[in-house]
Amino acid sequence: MAPDPDAALMLAFQGGDEAAFRTLFEKYGRAMVAFCHHYVRDLGRAEELAQDVFLKLYRYADRYRPSARFRTFLYRIAANHCLNELRRGEHGWRAADPGKDGADLELVAGKDPSPEEVASAAALSRAVQELLARLPEKQRSAFVLARLEGLSYEEVADVLETTVSAVKSLVHRATVAAADALESFSAPGDRKEVRQ
Amino acid sequence: MSHVVQDLTALLDGALSPERRAEVEAHLLACGGCRAERRRLEGALRMLSALPPAPEPTPGFGRRFWARLEAEPRDQGLLPLLGGRRWRWIAPLAGAAAMAAVLVVGGIRHRSQQREMAAHLDLLEQYELAASLGTVESAEDVEVVAHLDELEGRP
Repeated sequence: MAPDPDAALMLAFQGGDEAAFRTLFEKYGRAMVAFCHHYVRDLGRAEELAQDVFLKLYRYADRYRPSARFRTFLYRIAANHCLNELRRGEHGWRAADPGKDGADLELVAGKDPSPEEVASAAALSRAVQELLARLPEKQRSAFVLARLEGLSYEEVADVLETTVSAVKSLVHRATVAAADALESFSAPGDRKEVRQ
Repeated sequence: MSHVVQDLTALLDGALSPERRAEVEAHLLACGGCRAERRRLEGALRMLSALPPAPEPTPGFGRRFWARLEAEPRDQGLLPLLGGRRWRWIAPLAGAAAMAAVLVVGGIRHRSQQREMAAHLDLLEQYELAASLGTVESAEDVEVVAHLDELEGRP
């Protein structure tokens, strides 16, 4: 495994170097907000959850062992925290609010998007949120980590504390479900012809 | 050769071994059904890559976090302010003292008293947990540690 500079920062923090913790927060704060937003679809709540994650990281720093990559350690805390929040039922899965996400949708549709492009991006976003709401917990986490956060299968396996083979299966099943859910958005040549 | 649908996502993600990749690609040359499924999955991945990016944190996100971190010790008495990890050795001593107090005050001759001691074993575990986290700074913290479960929202 390549040297992990973030692990070195975490070890420095364990040794009392508070600046190292600050560096980790500055590096990963934004990513944690984005990750939590996939779960709660509310920016204010996503920020609170991301802050919770770093508070836990601060409290439980002594539990970190350098045998684990820092990034997967952090995502594990975040995934467990978000799932616990959802299990408590305070923040059910919600479809994207087209009004709230308007600025982001413009980013996707390009500069000066047409109303049709904005509406299409909003519909796609809603369809993905509805898909996520339907997926079983593990598939959902694997999908968010691999598809939306760009973690490798090995990293997802570390985060979910399972095998790469299991992740491969989870990601595949979630991707097939995504293909089903997004079929109406796809080009005719990409639509279902033969299912095995 | 059997169909390779189960491996198509890993193929598209570049997550197959070279040997398995060669087998899957050989199968795809001969199987229209699996090729169609690969096209469908590729289409889904293209659409997912076109999703809106997650929103940026609002201005002041970092400032609010540091304020929250600094407020925690005053609110909960648990976390030392930035820089404080040096009193962790107190926790096991406090735990041992609590256990000794249970033994002296409660005694262990009757079942009811044994049950009382068992209840305090949880307390000792909390002190040990706190010790491992380096969170005990003051006598007030020792009191708070006894209620860690409540603070953490654990059952």
